[in-house]
Amino acid sequence: METTIQQSGNQIIASFSGRLDTAAAVPAADAVKPLLEAENSEIILDCTHLEYISSSGLRIFLSIRKEAAAHGSKVIVRNINADIRQVFMMTGFISLFEIQ
Amino acid sequence: MDALDLHCQMILEEYREALPTLERMQAEVLATLRKALERNGLVVTAIETRIKTEESLAGKLALKGGKYATLSDITDILGARIITFYTDDVDRIASIAEQLFEIDWNNSVDKRRLHQLDSFGYNSLHYICRLPGYDMRFELQLRTTLQHAWAAINHDTGYKSGIEIPREYMRRINRLAGLLEMADDEFSRIRTEITDYRRRVQSLVQNGKLDDVLLDGDTFRSYLQAKPLDRLNRRIAAINQAEIQDAPLIRYLRVLKALQCNTLGDVSRLIQTYEEDAYRLARHQLGNTDIDIVSSAIGLQNICIVCILKTGGGKIGLERLFEVLNGNNSQNASIAEMTYQQARNIELI
Repeated sequence: METTIQQSGNQIIASFSGRLDTAAAVPAADAVKPLLEAENSEIILDCTHLEYISSSGLRIFLSIRKEAAAHGSKVIVRNINADIRQVFMMTGFISLFEIQ
Repeated sequence: MDALDLHCQMILEEYREALPTLERMQAEVLATLRKALERNGLVVTAIETRIKTEESLAGKLALKGGKYATLSDITDILGARIITFYTDDVDRIASIAEQLFEIDWNNSVDKRRLHQLDSFGYNSLHYICRLPGYDMRFELQLRTTLQHAWAAINHDTGYKSGIEIPREYMRRINRLAGLLEMADDEFSRIRTEITDYRRRVQSLVQNGKLDDVLLDGDTFRSYLQAKPLDRLNRRIAAINQAEIQDAPLIRYLRVLKALQCNTLGDVSRLIQTYEEDAYRLARHQLGNTDIDIVSSAIGLQNICIVCILKTGGGKIGLERLFEVLNGNNSQNASIAEMTYQQARNIELI
């Protein structure tokens, strides 16, 4: 599991790759900390190379969303695979995130 | 500045010495006003404060310096302005200011009440105030956004050039003041009527007269305050002992209308009719996973899915649902297909 953060102007892209499961959640939560402070930004959670997401991973996405709302930023989840989209659908998370 | 006499120059010197105090006072006035507005739940367009510049003060003294014995006779060295959305709020904030500051009534003016019955013009409320703990007074102006726009444009057209404006143009500017005054009153009336409407809707919802309430954004929000989906969401969450995260449901309004819900009564019946099947679908989807977090949209989402399938909407109907919830996306078709198969597995269709 790897998480990289890139910033360009007011856009911040967090790219996740591998499996965002319970074990990977702790380092991933650390890696996304800079996103939690971002003011008036567009935060892209790029999931092009994310294979799997667990409840712990969903909680990380949620914490990013909550902090973004508090700091005037918006979050877009990009390029999730069919399995992860199914998770978003059966948990009702598709109503929480803008998914592209 | 050379033209100023000794008396005026002494007032200017007084001003320079008072500047640090004025700056402290400015910060305190601003903080006091902001806190009071927040405490009273008042949202305004702007709160502004400014200290008159030395240049501006010198200009004022050059014109009428003899009128002032000391700096403290000039009441607008520090000025604060609150620009409201509604005329009603000007009165509310005025009464709040009366509690916060000592008002110098002899020098305060409600220009809104000075107008002749047959004329229009600059409408604004000016209070000369004293902040507890300070000797200097300051001016507080209260006006609506439309009054502010009129005053700003009138100032720009009337004074910028230094040439007197012909009466015909003044008449047209004042006609606009009348128009804006009517618009201000109308905005206030609309706000009052919308508030009344919301109260009526809430009362109908509380009394269960849902068939009398047309479905729209406002009424849907009122209905959701009664938490009609809580029971279903809790049942779904209990499948995996999941926590429930709040999610906005307003985007379902479009879906509910497409499902022929015209009143809140229709929405209530939709929930009652499909609640059990919505739960069965969730149990089938989540039961063999270890997912222990769901959003509060899950109940309504599954109700809509079941309704679409039970009324013959098929995969195309599901695809449209996901388009509304999730935007146009190439994967909506495959998710619709998967959901359709899951529904078939538990004989929903």
